[in-house]
Amino acid sequence: MTIKYQSQKVALPYMQLSLLLFVLQVIMGLWLAANYAFTLPQGLIDVFSFATSRAIHTNLLVAWMLLGFMGGAYFILPVECERELHSTKVAWLQLILFAAAAVTAVVGFLFGWTQGKPLLEIPVPLDLVIVVAALLFLFNILMTVLQAKNRTVLQWMLVGGVLFLALMYLFGIPFYSSLNTDYYYWWWVIHLWVEGAWELITASIIAFVIIQVTGVERKVVEKWLYVETGLFLFTGIVGTGHHYYWIGAPDYWLWWGGIFSALEPLPILLMVVDTWFHIRERKNPIVNQLLWVYIVALAIFHFIGAGLFGFVHTLPPINYYTHGSQITVSHGHMAFFGAYALLNLTVFYFALPQFKGIERYKATAGYWGFWIMAVSMFLLGLVFGVAGILQVYLERFLDIGYSTAHITMMFWFKVALFFGVCFLAGTLTTVYHLFTLKPVEEERSR
Amino acid sequence: MELKNARMIFWGGTLVSAAIFGWMTYDFHQQGETLAHNSKIDDRVIAGKKVWHKYNCNNCHTILGFGGYYAPDMTKAYYRLGANNIIAIVMNPQEVYRNSFRKMPQLGVTKIEAQNLVAFLHWTANIENRQWPPQDEKYVKAARLRESHPEKLQKTDLVLGACGGCHSFANQGRDIAGDFGEIAKRITYDHDTLIRYMQNPKSVKPDSDMPPQNVSPETAGLIADFILSLR
Ligand code: HEC
Ligand code: HEC
Ligand code: HEM
Ligand code: HEM
Ligand SMILES: [Fe+2]
Repeated sequence: MTIKYQSQKVALPYMQLSLLLFVLQVIMGLWLAANYAFTLPQGLIDVFSFATSRAIHTNLLVAWMLLGFMGGAYFILPVECERELHSTKVAWLQLILFAAAAVTAVVGFLFGWTQGKPLLEIPVPLDLVIVVAALLFLFNILMTVLQAKNRTVLQWMLVGGVLFLALMYLFGIPFYSSLNTDYYYWWWVIHLWVEGAWELITASIIAFVIIQVTGVERKVVEKWLYVETGLFLFTGIVGTGHHYYWIGAPDYWLWWGGIFSALEPLPILLMVVDTWFHIRERKNPIVNQLLWVYIVALAIFHFIGAGLFGFVHTLPPINYYTHGSQITVSHGHMAFFGAYALLNLTVFYFALPQFKGIERYKATAGYWGFWIMAVSMFLLGLVFGVAGILQVYLERFLDIGYSTAHITMMFWFKVALFFGVCFLAGTLTTVYHLFTLKPVEEERSR
Repeated sequence: MELKNARMIFWGGTLVSAAIFGWMTYDFHQQGETLAHNSKIDDRVIAGKKVWHKYNCNNCHTILGFGGYYAPDMTKAYYRLGANNIIAIVMNPQEVYRNSFRKMPQLGVTKIEAQNLVAFLHWTANIENRQWPPQDEKYVKAARLRESHPEKLQKTDLVLGACGGCHSFANQGRDIAGDFGEIAKRITYDHDTLIRYMQNPKSVKPDSDMPPQNVSPETAGLIADFILSLR
């Protein structure tokens, strides 16, 4: 299979850069775990602290996710719209702006140039560069969709998701003098991204991949797409309230936030069900099984990480004790990996062989990479979870003080470090495999 | 199911949820005064918040439970530690946590910045957030009791309120730098020297690791009386 439209090629550098940042992000994760596992000397942490490393870890995460989404959109839209992209020049300019902003941001963090808001540390001038890049992107995909040969639900859902994503980013930029209001709008970015806009993008992209790979009827897939995204937004928007229990917000948020967010796993479960149905009723033969493995793993891990691990701490009586602990970290990792890391990797495994015109590729390294990553991330999530339960029990139930409660973490983070190294091995294997895809022998001899 | 119905589910669900959320956001802003005392945000609180951002404190410390989980939550730090302790810790973490298993970097926070931070943390600690975090509620209760009944203020409250971030007494406060029961037996300073020691430790004991304390002369006198009475 080769690409159908020349302009799809512009997606390639997006995906390659995305993979590179993924590796760097994971290395930073190991360093964070080392900060927990060992007592580092004062001289070292004075120049390169946990705070700096954490900002780099999470910003690289967001950067490689967004690059993956944008590359994915550029790859998908020509096929979906049956025409070339509006402009590959704009796509290149946008990539350069975005990459420059990301690199400057990371180097800036090292020198203490930061807005100091968790996950949204990028200083305002760089925010503006990112806004420009986002506007270029929106312009480019909107023009492509508007001039499409045919109209599909999927196109609009994808564009809608991206528009929603870009809009929410704006709420993180201003300085709020009230911490309470600050965090109210902070969640408009973080929560309405991962449990709103990004879910729309995921649902659309995976619907596209499923249509292409399984050959099931578009009408059926798009019906599911509407229902799932509708439920995502219905539960997810008011569900934002599960972050407002302890920030100083009116009492009724406990009910609205609790009930709506408790329903958030439903659309994710629906995604598992529909993926399973479509695969069972496939019209096409399975060519590269690894891609199918990724599609199924995405559905299941998404449900476990976001749905189950999210659900367990979303109700107020539980969240009162677990809020802002390592239990949150456990869920954060399982959900981000299960939903968005796997989504991007699925898209990469769909797209990258096409750039090289490979029909069937050798998949051994890919399987190794996948299983090592999936198993280590699951174990990593469990270890964070155990550390979190201990922390909550010692610090908040028994109330024996921060130091005594946290010193037990040194052991658990040594374990986390071990699984983290395994995870890095899996990441490197996967990235290596994706960069060096080779056709299987029989095809070459043909 | 028809595509048409599916589309209705999408728009119906989205708009209903967005409408509820919009109304709740409106109400959140209406109640900002009752719940967060937004009118009490003055220039120092704002300056303190900017310091908080400038040094990226939030990527190690949670506040309102958000941020890095590496170091103690700061929501109720004002009641847990008191102004003097916060200033001493933030300006001299390398001394305070010399023997700790987890350290805080020396960030170069100036005295004025530290004072503004205290104003910010004081405002933050008064947000009505349904008594979170659970482990700090005891400090909040004790501090509020002291504020509302200054006549019942005991000497130990005063001493630990000022020095309890690093010293302990009778199982209260935190023992990073010694228990006053033991220190009192060890030291040989007289009343005035002890006051001088609090305000400028190095002037009395050149190799002292204790940072200078921001206590008024009257408070310092009371604390000195208290410590010397333990001999
Ligand atoms: C690199 C991580 C890091 C950064 C950045 C950091 N801290 Fe800390 N801080 C710590 C750690 C770790 C402790 C606790 C050490 C211990 O108890 O062993 C601590 C302790 C404290 C304490 C005492 C808390 C208590 O209850 O005992 C205060 C107050 C404090 N920090 C304020 C700040 C402020 C204000 C900033 C920003 C100007 C800041 N910290 C930046 C890591 C950090
Ligand atoms: C930021 C932490 C910190 C705070 C707050 C603090 N101290 Fe200390 N204190 C220390 C350290 C560290 C030492 C050990 C100094 C040394 O000998 O190196 C010490 C030692 C002492 C000593 C013994 C001196 C000696 O010669 O052995 C006295 C007395 C004392 N502190 C009094 C106080 C009083 C009174 C307060 C409150 C006004 C106070 N400290 C607040 C950190 C602190
Ligand atoms: C793919 C989707 C999801 C992702 C990527 C995700 C990610 C995250 C992250 C990173 C945080 C921590 C934020 C911070 O404080 O720094 C978080 C918090 C939280 N998430 Fe999710 N999440 C997802 C879906 C869900 C779902 C579906 C639920 C509920 C059923 C949920 C419930 C929660 C709760 C309750 C918290 C707050 C934890 C606390 O109080 O500290 N999440 N999520
Ligand atoms: C080697 C593997 C990894 C290790 C050891 C690791 C470790 C860590 C640590 C120690 C933190 C800081 C938590 C804290 O503040 O206490 C963190 C934060 C975070 N990491 Fe990782 N990480 C790894 C890989 C990943 C991957 C692959 C992802 C996403 C796909 C990810 C997403 C996140 C997120 C979202 C946060 C913020 C969590 C929150 O706010 O709750 N990490 N990581
Ligand atoms: Fe959420």
